[in-house]
Amino acid sequence: MITLEDVSYRYQRGGRDAVSGISLSVSPGECLMITGPSGAGKTTLCMAASGILEHEFGGEKRGRVTILGKDVREYPGLPEIASHVSVVFDDPEAQLIFTTVEEEILSALERSGLSPAEIGQRLASILEITRLAALKDRPPHALSGGQKQRVALAAALALGTDILILDEPTAELDEEGTASIVSVLRDLKAQGKTILLTEHKYSHFRDLVDRLVVMEGGRFRAIGTPSELITDRSVAEIVIPDFSGIRSSFPCRPHEGENPVISVRGLGFLYGDVPALAGVSLDVYPGEFVAIVGENGSGKTTLIKHFIGLLHATRGSVTVDGKDAKVTPVSELAHSVGLVFQNPDHMFFADTVAGEVMFGITNLGIPEPEAVLGEVLSRCRLSGARDLYPRWLSRGERQRLAIACVLAMQPKVIVLDEPTTGLDGKESREVMEILRQLQAEGRAIVMVTHNHEMARECADRVVTMRAGRIVSDTRNGA
Amino acid sequence: MGEILQYIHKDGLFHRMHPGTKIFFILVIGIMAILSLSIPFLCALLGVVLVMALAGRILREVLDQMKLILAMSVIFILITLVTMPEGDVLFHLLPGGLLPVTTGALDAGIILTLRFAILIMAFQIFVITTQPRDLVNTLEKMRVPIEYNLMFLIALRFIPTLQIEARKIHEAQLARGYSTGKGFVGRIRSVAPVMVPLVSNALSRANILGITIDMRGYRTRKRTPIREERLNMPDKVFVGVLGFALAAYIAATLLQAIM
Repeated sequence: MITLEDVSYRYQRGGRDAVSGISLSVSPGECLMITGPSGAGKTTLCMAASGILEHEFGGEKRGRVTILGKDVREYPGLPEIASHVSVVFDDPEAQLIFTTVEEEILSALERSGLSPAEIGQRLASILEITRLAALKDRPPHALSGGQKQRVALAAALALGTDILILDEPTAELDEEGTASIVSVLRDLKAQGKTILLTEHKYSHFRDLVDRLVVMEGGRFRAIGTPSELITDRSVAEIVIPDFSGIRSSFPCRPHEGENPVISVRGLGFLYGDVPALAGVSLDVYPGEFVAIVGENGSGKTTLIKHFIGLLHATRGSVTVDGKDAKVTPVSELAHSVGLVFQNPDHMFFADTVAGEVMFGITNLGIPEPEAVLGEVLSRCRLSGARDLYPRWLSRGERQRLAIACVLAMQPKVIVLDEPTTGLDGKESREVMEILRQLQAEGRAIVMVTHNHEMARECADRVVTMRAGRIVSDTRNGA
Repeated sequence: MGEILQYIHKDGLFHRMHPGTKIFFILVIGIMAILSLSIPFLCALLGVVLVMALAGRILREVLDQMKLILAMSVIFILITLVTMPEGDVLFHLLPGGLLPVTTGALDAGIILTLRFAILIMAFQIFVITTQPRDLVNTLEKMRVPIEYNLMFLIALRFIPTLQIEARKIHEAQLARGYSTGKGFVGRIRSVAPVMVPLVSNALSRANILGITIDMRGYRTRKRTPIREERLNMPDKVFVGVLGFALAAYIAATLLQAIM
């Protein structure tokens, strides 16, 4: 269906080849999954295979790509390629142009050359397969991440192509959202669609994937059936996150007799008149690593925003480092609590990595800024990136930079919202090691995640939330 | 958070109308509002727009803009007080005979406010009741180039997304000890940490957006009309009434000029 012959590409902004000497042939009905660290060239490979690279990007291209036996250069443009290949990108927001779900799907259908009756039928079947029928009149901003991604997928399906290319379709999704995408793809595969997919969550897609490609540094590190590849340990650690032994290598310090650094008592919070938190009580001690798990909408992010005064309790109290979080300004609480948000791109604005880290240092007036800068960069394994432009770093590096920025403000508690979004197994482990090390030095770590396994393997304590309440709070055995 | 300028799914009079009719509605109301200098007439026109909103079951949504309109009216009146001190002096805003409040300035300020209110509300009625896809299709039929057409659509679509994103960025920077600067220069300087990520993210998104539009064949393929987009009876009646009103208005204005 698609072949790549010795394809290399270098973006206009320079640097090394994003992909280098890649050859691949995708057979009809196959589900091929590409995995590997962020910045390995997975997205570039998707762009190359769909002809987008050829038709939309400048930069240096070598090699040959064919779709259905025809060189992509022989297609006049993307619209012609789009009658054979549809693409779903990782950011669903950018693929939703219209203001309701149904419109979004129709927008693609009504230019497909079908008759109105056929369009009606196709619309109904797409809504069914993507489980969107109940949401068809919703605007995009009233959808969850998983729902948005399903709409983007539905609009791609509307084009009726046999080949689907998906670039990290579940990156921002929780367990439930991921499962819904997996089950939609399973149905599509059963219909005979050819699926090319980049993903980090191999274990979720296990029964779908026929062949696996592991990329690293723009090249294929390994290619073959999953069962062949996973026997190689160095490949397996990229494909399947392995957090074993992390906890025992940095043991938890006992905290008897110490005061909690965060103390939440009977916290209730309403968004407008919708209750988001109710009766939440929690103590976090210095040197403790707490994971907060739960599905999207369970109140995890709402809870941690109270720690730094971005939200104020409707009921109950939050005490942080002895300060009442309800009345203390955010800039004051930032001395005690560092909050790393889920999407690092929401914070970067400086021209260099160093400038980015210095922002917080200057804001809080941290003494010996240069020394602090050097130290946090080396801790977060970014010393070599000091003068680079933050937005051009890989996702894994950007995540570590976000942690470095917060660490530089020397807080007693570091709170992270989904710190392994978009990272492969090895990169996730790297982040966890950095966090365990910080904890061993006496900082408290609070990590919000929907990855239960990671929470179990890395944290000392797992707090589970459901519908705005804490439903369990258990201590992991050492 | 209030959503501004968004389509709201409902079943009302305007929702069922042809987008072309509604464009005609905005044009007629807009022309009358801009040409008229009479406060009673503008008040009546505003009344008509509000009655229309009520009939279309979207009065509450249209009135959501009241705050903005009131704020603008204060600014308009202040500007006219300073720049158009004509007519009789009613009183002085500041002691010592400074900033006289004159009838001429008040009139001009009120006229500006009314025009503004009428235009905003008429546009609101249009946007709230028109599915963007219908709008794109109608504009396409009216031979507006698809690029401009999509530009307008995307601008409307991304208002709430950018609002949400700006808030997230603001929170992220607050957590890094960022504070809105003091004084004029400080304020300008403190814009960068929020605006730079907002604009950079939007730009990187624009690329994917463009590719998506192209892959859906928006610029090249012909469209199959799905819904029958005929002018129905209410459309015809409404267009007739509007046309008649516009004619009457022009006639009356001309008569006034002659007499």
